[in-house]
Amino acid sequence: MSFELPPPLAQEPPPRSSWEDFKLLSANQLRVTWNKIRHWPPVAWIMLILFGIGLLSVLIGLGFLAFGALKTMPPQMARGFLSMLFMVGTAGLLFFGITAAFAALYMSDDLELLFMAPVSVTAVFAVKSLVVAGGNFFTAVVFIFLPGVFYGLLFSASPLFYLWTIPVGLGLWTVGTALAELLNLLVMRIVPPHRSREAVGVLGGVAGIVIALLFQIPNLISSGGGHPDIGSWLAGRQQLLQVMDFFPWGWGSLALAGGASGNFLAALGWSILLLLLGAALFALAFFLVKRSFQRGWISLTQGEGGRGRKKPRAKLSPAPHTTQPERVLLPAVEEKNAATATSSWPGMWSVAKKDLLYLRRDTREWFGYLTPLIIMAFFVGQFLFLSGDATRTTMVTVIIIYSIMFSGNMALQSFGREGESEWILNSVPLAGWPVVWGKLIAAVLPSIILMEALLAGTALAVGLPQNIILGSALGAVFITLGASAIGLYYSVNNCRYNPDSPQQRISPGASLLMYLINMLFIALMAFSLLYIFPPAELTAILQELPPLSFRWKFPDFLLFILYTLSRPLLWPPLPRILTGLAVTIGIWASVFFSFMAATVRQTRKGFRVEIVAAAKKKPLRSGFRKK
Amino acid sequence: MKNTLIKTEQLTKRFGTTPVVKGLNLEVNGGEIYGFLGPNGSGKTTTIRMLTGLLEPSSGQAFICGYDVGKEASRAKALMAYVPDQPKLYGKLTAREFLSFISNLYRMPQETSGERAGYLLHMFGLEERADDLLETYSHGMRQKVVLAAALIHQPRVILLDEPTVGLDPHSARLLKDVLQEMARQGAAVFLSTHILEIAERMCHRVGILKEGQLIAQGSPEELRRKIGHKEESLEDIFLELTGSPENTELIRSLEEGESQ
Repeated sequence: MSFELPPPLAQEPPPRSSWEDFKLLSANQLRVTWNKIRHWPPVAWIMLILFGIGLLSVLIGLGFLAFGALKTMPPQMARGFLSMLFMVGTAGLLFFGITAAFAALYMSDDLELLFMAPVSVTAVFAVKSLVVAGGNFFTAVVFIFLPGVFYGLLFSASPLFYLWTIPVGLGLWTVGTALAELLNLLVMRIVPPHRSREAVGVLGGVAGIVIALLFQIPNLISSGGGHPDIGSWLAGRQQLLQVMDFFPWGWGSLALAGGASGNFLAALGWSILLLLLGAALFALAFFLVKRSFQRGWISLTQGEGGRGRKKPRAKLSPAPHTTQPERVLLPAVEEKNAATATSSWPGMWSVAKKDLLYLRRDTREWFGYLTPLIIMAFFVGQFLFLSGDATRTTMVTVIIIYSIMFSGNMALQSFGREGESEWILNSVPLAGWPVVWGKLIAAVLPSIILMEALLAGTALAVGLPQNIILGSALGAVFITLGASAIGLYYSVNNCRYNPDSPQQRISPGASLLMYLINMLFIALMAFSLLYIFPPAELTAILQELPPLSFRWKFPDFLLFILYTLSRPLLWPPLPRILTGLAVTIGIWASVFFSFMAATVRQTRKGFRVEIVAAAKKKPLRSGFRKK
Repeated sequence: MKNTLIKTEQLTKRFGTTPVVKGLNLEVNGGEIYGFLGPNGSGKTTTIRMLTGLLEPSSGQAFICGYDVGKEASRAKALMAYVPDQPKLYGKLTAREFLSFISNLYRMPQETSGERAGYLLHMFGLEERADDLLETYSHGMRQKVVLAAALIHQPRVILLDEPTVGLDPHSARLLKDVLQEMARQGAAVFLSTHILEIAERMCHRVGILKEGQLIAQGSPEELRRKIGHKEESLEDIFLELTGSPENTELIRSLEEGESQ
């Protein structure tokens, strides 16, 4: 094999300034971003446009609401409202900045490469900081620049006023981004490199919840379900608005208020103060981030291929001298002994334990639990603060929906969790009931614990009687088991795994179908429970119904079935409750065991996890060419 | 005349209170392929990362081509190349764009960088995929791109961390030829590997690291002579030195031999 290599450099190439390095790295960053956008699939564009339209409508709606309310307010209160908006903006910058900084610094693939190259480290971190600030651009525009502009429009300020929005906006943008970078230092220190993907997933999940809560703001501001009234809401918070002046967001609003009233000195003073604080914080963040990476305080190895942070090892004591065993190969296990030694219980428990360990150790697994918990907390909070029939009904509905969707969804993830390791469960002699029971235990245990906690918490918040709480607790166990059995069946038949996005474990169609079947299951259970707890309104109507006779005609036939099914509701309590119990247990058992049996049958045949790849790799066609 | 291109003086790295590399003294000359061996967790990668400036030493110094990596990082880095064990690249750049970026980072003249990138892509058999995004490449292909990027600026020192991982036999052979050619032209090649056969066949000298300390150094032949088993392979020597504590005496005798 022959080739020509130019001789090694005799001396290093001429030096280059940090500014030149910065320009080169920025150009490369732009190229990477441009290539990323160019290769977006059409679905991503459609989703982005839809999300944009949705977000824009909410923002326009909120904008009109705020603008309309501010028109009727005294200037002092309007400025207080502006401070509040700036505070929300800074919080947004902080939160989204942490996510952006984490992704840009801790999850980037290029830091190692850039640190190795003869470029100025300052230029490298300057570009990274620019990326983080760029990630915060949208938040800064929506919550800082636009409110500033609208404040000017509200008071019909002179064109010169709008210039003040630039230093104020830049100052708050820098403060938020710098604080985010500083907080991110702690996040990077706490999160070990091999769990960075999970951490960014957690941050993304929380971001999703924050956005969901944002959509609830009008609902929260409107007291008692009426029209949102910002004016009266702000009027009761005068003291809070005054405190804002001690913080950067207050300084921003003071600068703009000065600008709007033509007080040039006040506008300049507050703007300079804000810019100085931003610059100081940014310089501190820049210095600390740089030093932390250089000193190894923050690990450079990232992603899943990275290493975990080394734990201090205990000093090893000299190992006792061990003699080599005479037989290296294990003695052959006699077939008879092997068969008698195999029990299903340890296998079943191993499968469950493995899944439970996964659930505990992979933070992304917690999302399934965290999201409903947080949303549930929101509804409980809404109920406690704005107690009323409407919120009570909403909360009860949410509880029922979660009972079905949540438990089923957890089980739905079960077989996809095997990912590329599916061969292990398919190759060990456990296929059938041991695997399925193991999977069920792992799916059901956390769900039951959480469901019971949710149920007890909500029931206490609503103020339900004790016997209903106990009955609901027992019911939740059976609903969870049934919903999980349905989930397992759809999981074993439709599981998939995406190495780039390990949360994708099921096809969307199967997921929807599972929800539908679970709804049907709950409907059937609800019908059977009517025999045990007959509603007075229903029995009153049934007593009024005239007797129906059987006819082979479509609506009459259906009505006759419903009529026959409703008869036990009019029976005396003992036979009615016994019938109710028998029907409920029968429905539950037939749904539970038939789905379990179907899942067992599939695992015996061998389940297959479909591997979904985001980017298809092309095979290498060219070989080496000899010269 | 001795032309030392890689040198460390009492190089030490501690993570918290745990020492990972303990007072390492190394010298690698131009024209030499130096194999850096050691069991997992012995401090090989940490040493390489300190040599490349990716990690600041807790104490001691590292020199590349006479430049202190800590104080004259930019000058030292301009003359060296590093091939990591995990090829992390810009997934959203093509191989050609990536090589162009690297040549810019290493301040290569525009007129030669394109030509050399084309030649290296051809040499590593990546020509047909040169304009595809790197995220579509397999591990082996990425490794080849990293190797091409390491060669593009004609480094005088090249540090490689497990470079043969993921390479097919043809590419591994090409790598071996490239490294030997570089050494022949006067470059210093510093290679960390687990595959002792590669070290035995390629390296002029090997250093064995254990728990952050260099316990043996020399050509495979010298090591055999010092241990006193002339027929043993480097693998046997390595296992003997890094294996069980009963070899402490042997290691001590080797260290004494070196200091004399």
